[in-house]
Amino acid sequence: MIKTFSKGGIHPAPNKYADRKIKLLPLPTTAYLPLSQHIGAPAEPVVERGEHVGRGQLIAVNTTYISAGLHAPISGTVKGIEPVALANGKPGMAIIISATDEEHRADTAAREAYWRAIEPGHTDRQLSESLSADVIRKAILDAGIVGLGGATFPAHVKLSTKESDKPELLIINGCECEPYLMCDDALMSHYPARIVEGVELMMKAAGVGRAVIAVEDNKPGAIAALKSHIDPAHDISIQVVKTKYPQGGEKQLVEAITGRRIPSGKLPLSVGAIVNNVATAFAIWQCIASGQPLIERVVTVTGDIPESERRNYMVAIGTPLSNLPFTPPQRANIIVGGPMMGHSAICLDAPITKGTSGLTILDAAPRRQPMACVRCGACVEACPMGLEPYLLSTYGRLHMWDEARSAGVADCMECGSCSWSCPSSRPLLEYIKIAKQRSRK
Amino acid sequence: MQSIFLTLTLLGLLGLIGALVLYVTAKKFHVDEDPRIEAIADMLPGANCGGCGYKGCRDFAGACVAKGSLDGIFCPVSGADGMAKIAAILGVEAVETTRNIAVLKCNGTCAARPVVFEYDGIRSCRIMDSVAVGTRGCSFGCLGCGDCVAVCKFGALSIDTADGLPKVDTEKCTACGSCVAECPRNLIELRPAGPRDRRVWVACSSRDKGAVARKVCANACIGCGKCAKTCPFGAITIADNLAYIDPEVCKTCGKCINACPTGAIHASFTSLCTESTAQK
Repeated sequence: MIKTFSKGGIHPAPNKYADRKIKLLPLPTTAYLPLSQHIGAPAEPVVERGEHVGRGQLIAVNTTYISAGLHAPISGTVKGIEPVALANGKPGMAIIISATDEEHRADTAAREAYWRAIEPGHTDRQLSESLSADVIRKAILDAGIVGLGGATFPAHVKLSTKESDKPELLIINGCECEPYLMCDDALMSHYPARIVEGVELMMKAAGVGRAVIAVEDNKPGAIAALKSHIDPAHDISIQVVKTKYPQGGEKQLVEAITGRRIPSGKLPLSVGAIVNNVATAFAIWQCIASGQPLIERVVTVTGDIPESERRNYMVAIGTPLSNLPFTPPQRANIIVGGPMMGHSAICLDAPITKGTSGLTILDAAPRRQPMACVRCGACVEACPMGLEPYLLSTYGRLHMWDEARSAGVADCMECGSCSWSCPSSRPLLEYIKIAKQRSRK
Repeated sequence: MQSIFLTLTLLGLLGLIGALVLYVTAKKFHVDEDPRIEAIADMLPGANCGGCGYKGCRDFAGACVAKGSLDGIFCPVSGADGMAKIAAILGVEAVETTRNIAVLKCNGTCAARPVVFEYDGIRSCRIMDSVAVGTRGCSFGCLGCGDCVAVCKFGALSIDTADGLPKVDTEKCTACGSCVAECPRNLIELRPAGPRDRRVWVACSSRDKGAVARKVCANACIGCGKCAKTCPFGAITIADNLAYIDPEVCKTCGKCINACPTGAIHASFTSLCTESTAQK
């Protein structure tokens, strides 16, 4: 049975037309690694300027529990630890590594050999049996793995559950409800066995007996691939969910799978579930099976660009966005992420971070002028959290922070369904974001 | 005819009963309010700007009476004169305070800081700041959408169309602090009006390294430290590539204004300073 969440949701055009094959993007000669690529405290550098680092070497550590370490994506010399412009143009502290031609050639050869070895591979089903939960969690922490679905929450924190929490279900999010993006789809179609093994490892680490991999029904290839690699020894099942935005939202997905609603302000753990992304499962398998920390990820390049350029790439973290090959239209709106939840990039020298799932290049059509609210209720119907977006945005516009707080603005997950559905093209989400920010104080 | 009489009697009776209920309630639940609260509230500007830190003018009046002294209580809009009157009503000593004025810590004019990005979103600084660095490419400077102008209840701010930055009307500014709280980049500072209305401040907030700051804005403070070396009173400190003039120490001689290679130091007066006048 195809499941879905009950409240709201929208159906934007999926536009998932990028090539599913994953191509290796050449390694950059200079990599920029922002210290804050995850939710939580920024990582603390453990290398100094002028120091030589090898590919995969730890260059920054987490000093607090909710934080994640960083690893060198290329071999080279540390050129400096200084502010670099991020995609939104704002500066952030970053470690800059620069490689010589020789190092670059050696890295490229090693990387190609690595991915060739993984491609056919043999399945080591005993992996999760042979390791203890503590060892797996330590490996995840040491590999600097964060949630790769976009929120970049440190993975080791999510999997360190206490006895009292009693998690009973691990939900692996392969919905990829965001239009245009296909990085998870590509990963599931290409490495289904690895993802299933990663899920087994996660189940062991979190002490959960049952896992469900949720995939939207518009990815039949990925569903078939995953199904054929399920190991009967583990209680892992594939749940097909309806193609509806935001199906991949944590609260929506938990409701779709378990039928339980997560109370306001609570985590999925409060209803006994843990949610992780498929790409995170793959990264966990990688770090344990092959020892490679999180230094590469899949990035989709798609949108209004020539068809041959709409592809999925395996990209080293720290690669400048401008290294991705694409020919933008005359007036382009380049979005880091998908069109619904992504952010416009104004600086293409900015690096790809752990949370960059794609680059959507859209033809920048002139924006429709906002008109008066006609009280049609389309936004209320679309809101998956059951909020009243027209009201919240009015509170945001009129600086009524207390009223916004009591109307539940903190529950908004900024999915953008309200702005998408508004027939008057009102900037609902923009004002709600402000209300959310200001009412927190 | 009879029905008219009946109606009038009935309505009259009802009215009488209502009046009686109201009278009894008013007598029984009467609350004695200090008449001084009313007197002070009448004197206050009534803008409810929140510059004093209380919820509104009446709340402020209540606080004045409840506290019994004016220690730490100040209505920036009424100013020293207004506070003296309030002190007279309360029969306490007025506390000496200095007048403050809002100054803008950015001088990235259209000429110094050209528009490099296109923004077609809502004209709000806070929204533009949440989206990206801003149309002028400076991650610290003024975004020029006028959130501060919209929030000023006294009409003291306006966007200068020539340079795209907000201008403070010193006559109208009451230093209530609404604009300080509103600016998403914390570019407005309340500084003492200074002796004879003379004040000097660094009109830049960029903490970028000199070369980076200079690349996006010709008027940026590059943290070179020339002003700090020039200042005869040691009022200027450099931190994170940015100079700051301590208004408590500054004697408003204006030497730093001429020393600054980028013109990032602004003053409320025209500097005619030479070596000899500064020493006085």
